Amino acid sequence: MASIHTRGLVKKYGSLTVLHGLDLEIPDHELVVLVGPSGCGKSTLLRVLAGLEAIDEGDLFIGEDRVNDIPAAKRDIAMVFQDYALYPHMTVRQNMAFALEMRGMARGEIKERVEKAAALLAIEPYLDRRPKALSGGQRQRVAMGRAIVRNPRVFLFDEPLSNLDARLRTQVRAEIKTLSQQLRTTMVFVTHDQVEAMTMADRIVVMKSGVIQQVGSPEDVYETPANLFVAGFIGSPSMNFFPASVENDGLKLADGRTVAVGDRVQAAATAHRGKPLILGVRPEHFRVAPDAAGALSVEITLVEPLGSDTLIHFKVGDAEAIARVEPDLRPKVGDVIALAPSPEKAHLFEEKSGALIC
Amino acid sequence: MSHTVASNRWTGALNIFLLVLAGVVSLTPMAWMVLSSFKASFEVTAYPPTVIFSPTLENYATLWERTPFLHYAFNSMVVTVSSTALGIILGAPAAFVASWTRVTWPAVLTLAARMAPGTLFLLPWYIMFRQFDMIGSYWALILTHAVITMPIVIWVLLPFFDNIPRSIYEAAQVDGCSPLRIFFRIGLPLVAGGLAVSSILAFVFSWNFFLFALVLSNSDTKTLIAASFNFIGEGSTNWGALMAAATLIALPPLVLAIVVQRWLISGLTLGAVKG
Ligand SMILES: Nc1ncnc2c1ncn2[C@@H]1O[C@H](COP(=O)(O)OP(=O)(O)OP(=O)(O)O)[C@@H](O)[C@H]1O
Ligand SMILES: [Mg+2]
Repeated sequence: MASIHTRGLVKKYGSLTVLHGLDLEIPDHELVVLVGPSGCGKSTLLRVLAGLEAIDEGDLFIGEDRVNDIPAAKRDIAMVFQDYALYPHMTVRQNMAFALEMRGMARGEIKERVEKAAALLAIEPYLDRRPKALSGGQRQRVAMGRAIVRNPRVFLFDEPLSNLDARLRTQVRAEIKTLSQQLRTTMVFVTHDQVEAMTMADRIVVMKSGVIQQVGSPEDVYETPANLFVAGFIGSPSMNFFPASVENDGLKLADGRTVAVGDRVQAAATAHRGKPLILGVRPEHFRVAPDAAGALSVEITLVEPLGSDTLIHFKVGDAEAIARVEPDLRPKVGDVIALAPSPEKAHLFEEKSGALIC
Repeated sequence: MSHTVASNRWTGALNIFLLVLAGVVSLTPMAWMVLSSFKASFEVTAYPPTVIFSPTLENYATLWERTPFLHYAFNSMVVTVSSTALGIILGAPAAFVASWTRVTWPAVLTLAARMAPGTLFLLPWYIMFRQFDMIGSYWALILTHAVITMPIVIWVLLPFFDNIPRSIYEAAQVDGCSPLRIFFRIGLPLVAGGLAVSSILAFVFSWNFFLFALVLSNSDTKTLIAASFNFIGEGSTNWGALMAAATLIALPPLVLAIVVQRWLISGLTLGAVKG
């Protein structure tokens, strides 16, 4: 078990810089999820941690040791690959025993460890099968088993759930989280699925184009996103963004109407008078308020009932927006409804830099 | 719909036609050779060739009496098996590294050497082996034949290694494998089919390779194929004995191919690694 710590980490492929000087602190025992859009460098970072890619600049520490020049084989890290990468010519048992054999462990102990891990993951019935004779979910478990038996300092997962169907994914997600709490081994988990990130992580690292945007607990990144990108990426459906400028009694939106946003946001906006601003409101942070002064009357263009709540789509100027409302409201397309942004939960961003104002 | 069925039937028929054609083209000389080896000497060169004749073992008897046939066969075996083994020992790691590093120009170089006409090497090699006093030794033949077998092994195995998903190598690295262990524990077992294919091809090419054996061997180390050349004399060639020798020479590769047939097919379809 060990913490991970990078300083100014740069990774280039030829002239393409994929990681732009990352400073990242991954504490011991934590389950950290790297999340970001496709191509942002998540896998690359994971492979750098594993030692499968060389580092161009900066330092990487695992525990106390600087491991820049330590090959993958000597880093004592286990990795679960997206395609599982099981050894096709070995049985499940041999797959799991392989790394231990490489370390010269005694046969008795190997057997013991393999069986313990197999029991933990409920793959005992398949121990003598080849990977080819297993389902996707079973292979996924074997890949995890292969990592667990080693009792490594760090686990790395590269989108290990993306090949599973939705139900199995939810199940394995919970299992990995439980496992992390049982084993207390540092885990780094890569995904581009923000729901996966939110549900599993002790700590989320949001990346974009090889730059870390924000590091924080799931609550942190949801409640206080550092910038427009994080605000839009975390949460589903995404946060609504409305270009706005400051008025005395609220914020003027693109279609010329003014919406009341409460004292907190109003004060912050006033302090940035003259700058183009973005008002950010999550779908769940609209209140249906027919009587409130400064509420926004909008016409519903689409209704999506989810059962537990209902999503309504509407337009403000050219911008599409979504609000989450009580299903009992039974909204219909064409209805006009008055929506007020929650004064406590609404956010304000600088349009130019995208930085959070409040 | 019906269009597809009809065109399927046509491609099916075409396939069968092509297979039969290929079969006829490749089997006719074989049949000719085998039949001729059982003909009396006056009948061998008869034109048009006789199809119905009373078979005789005369040619085989001649072969047995006049030549140390078994000794030559032994020489051929020694040279072929050793050069095939040498080709695999050198070629398999080379193919692995070429696939791993994606640096293939050395492999291209070996292929170029293989493609160049053998006569090109003949003189330099003759001189070189004479320097080392190796003319007539098994080693001279084994080493020269490895120049044929190694490129075969490399080029057959390369796509097999390329076909192994990279993440499997990487998993092995993360599991604590040194490159050497990855080669032996992961790479080699996963290209077993390719090893079968390449050893057959290497065996056949080395077994049938004529030129170097003719020049670099002596009467003690002469291989079958070089020895059979003795039956072609100035003016009077003993065709019957030559055909008998050729028939016997063709047997070992054939037997080998049948024995490893199963591997050969799974190897040729490259299905060994997937899934
Ligand atoms: N071996 C390579 N050679 C050159 N460029 C590469 C290589 N591997 C990745 N890249 C580039 O580096 C960038 C980051 O790739 P990476 O695989 O880390 O993305 P990712 O965040 O894991 O994306 P995804 O969610 O699609 O897996 C991409 O632009 C990709 O094209
Ligand atoms: Mg990736």
